[in-house]
Amino acid sequence: MDQLFDVSLFASTLRLVTPILLAALGGALCARVGLFNVGLEGLVLIGAFSAIVGNHFTGNVLSAVLFAILCSLLFSVLFGYMSIHLRANVIVVGIALNFLALGLTTFSLRAIFDVKGAYYNKDMVGLPKWDIPLLKDIPWLGDVLSGHSPLVYLSILIVILLQLFLFKTVTGFRLLAAGENATAAKSLGIKVTRIQYGAVLMCGVLCGLAGAQLSLGNVTMFTEGMTSGRGFIALVATMLGQSNPLGVAASSLLFGFMDALSIRLQGFALPTHFTMMLPYVVTIAAMLFFKDKGYMQEARKANESSR
Amino acid sequence: MDKRVSFIRSLLQPLLAVIVGLAAGAVAIAVVGGSVLETYAEMWKGAFGSFYFFTNTLSRATPIILIGLGVALAFRAGFFNMGSEGQMVLGALSAAITALYLPGPAWLKLVAALVAGIISGGIWSAFAGWLDAKYRMNLLITTLLLNYIATLFAGYIVSYPLKDRTGSAAMAQTMMIDKSVWLPKLFKGMSLHGGFLIAAVCAILLFLFMRYTLKGYEIRMLGGNPLFASYGGVQRGKMMLLSMFASGGFAGLAGSIEVLGTQYRYLDGALTTPGYAWSGIMATLLAGSHPLGTAVAAILLAALQTGGMGMERNTEVPLEVSSIIQAVLILFVSAKITYSFIKRRKARS
Repeated sequence: MDQLFDVSLFASTLRLVTPILLAALGGALCARVGLFNVGLEGLVLIGAFSAIVGNHFTGNVLSAVLFAILCSLLFSVLFGYMSIHLRANVIVVGIALNFLALGLTTFSLRAIFDVKGAYYNKDMVGLPKWDIPLLKDIPWLGDVLSGHSPLVYLSILIVILLQLFLFKTVTGFRLLAAGENATAAKSLGIKVTRIQYGAVLMCGVLCGLAGAQLSLGNVTMFTEGMTSGRGFIALVATMLGQSNPLGVAASSLLFGFMDALSIRLQGFALPTHFTMMLPYVVTIAAMLFFKDKGYMQEARKANESSR
Repeated sequence: MDKRVSFIRSLLQPLLAVIVGLAAGAVAIAVVGGSVLETYAEMWKGAFGSFYFFTNTLSRATPIILIGLGVALAFRAGFFNMGSEGQMVLGALSAAITALYLPGPAWLKLVAALVAGIISGGIWSAFAGWLDAKYRMNLLITTLLLNYIATLFAGYIVSYPLKDRTGSAAMAQTMMIDKSVWLPKLFKGMSLHGGFLIAAVCAILLFLFMRYTLKGYEIRMLGGNPLFASYGGVQRGKMMLLSMFASGGFAGLAGSIEVLGTQYRYLDGALTTPGYAWSGIMATLLAGSHPLGTAVAAILLAALQTGGMGMERNTEVPLEVSSIIQAVLILFVSAKITYSFIKRRKARS
């Protein structure tokens, strides 16, 4: 047991939780304005791929991350236009977006890098690892919390900022009002559509960051469909956290821990199939134990016949 | 007259979607520096160029049709069943196991294998429906997550307990099913097998079922207006279990037909890599959940895929152009739903 629950397990939890957490926060924002964003998976995938593309062409990590944000942003504009402006069924748009992301990334992988399946280049620089002064000298805690990519720390910051934004600022309250009851909000002169677009765009930014952490964080590579359901797990994290930033962070930590545990268990004598199954099984179990009715109303509000 | 107009429009919309999709594909081809016309000509040849290629396309379409029908049934009832992949894989696995280990005459094995596929796919799907009906767990998410669990489980079964250790190939697969249990080929030397006929019959039967039976009406009512349906005495939970079972059953049947007609064994990844399940869902979206339309859309998507392979053999353009065309098709379809929505809103005001 000591071997299993050591420092590096918790350190890798923190690394693995970041993509899920960032995407889940984006999902939470969308859910708060009444849009059930199933397209998180696709947005993260686009972010992951464009981060690699940006890295390949500029050789600069910062511009790679910015490029990832830009591409995810473009896709979220598409999502917003279809679901807010054209009032298409959000779930269908989300699914279509996932298809498009998968098709575009596999195609571009062939067109840009001329490889199939995965692109890896050892000359690429990944995200830097930050050693936090003072913190890194604390015995156990320092090893867990220090030495991560800037995005890991950024994600923690975003959780706090988002919590403050949603529940302590006027704009935040307007955003909540727009999601809670669009008609009432509109009658008070709140520009609901503008707020919805804002939330969707912010979701795009967060998903771009999530993708960058996924493809440049621990390994600097891209594989076809490398999100492998993380976008959907993030969606569950959104629901379990009741679209509340702190709650979302807590549930994302659970899933990140399961991810890390599943990778760690592969070193043991267990068949990898079962260890890989673990995050999905725990996700379903978590849905059973932490029931949340709020998201259902939101999903219903957004689309009457979706369920 | 109104009926005829709406019929023509229902044909026009997918046609328009195809044109937009092909235009997007043309852009992609131009980006990688290929000649658009030449590439599309190769694509056409790869899908319909000869009788051999045509039957090839139809045999690829077979699982897509069946999965599409299952998803269409669930859509019509108002449920998003995204779990076809897992249902198909479990169906395929149980069909392979039944065909391998059940004693008895060949015809019995064949029928039992098909039934086993339907049942296991159906149960896996109904499980998700049960979780929703009983515990109010979001069906869209559970079906998606169950996919991963099912494929990993099937992968485990064929890598450890039931792994084929007779041959020299060290692949995660079951043993080869005896030749007498195979679905017969329709033409000598072609890949098209009896499964295509089953799929075609299923499409027609589902169409008739949805249109002319009481249960079909209840399903449509539940999808169209759940409140009205419950007022009319339709039990949502029960209908959900039933329609999800049927939906998963179609996916399971698709898997077992692939095993009995093409693969002759369960090979890990052989069903998930070509993305049959996702193509099936696309076909349903493309056809607006109409059973016969789904079958046609499935053949179209299969043609795009086999055509893409032909194109890759003979030109420099990568196969993935097909996936772009497919994705744009689907995106356009969600706009199509929008289009009818706007019309409805106009009519209301």
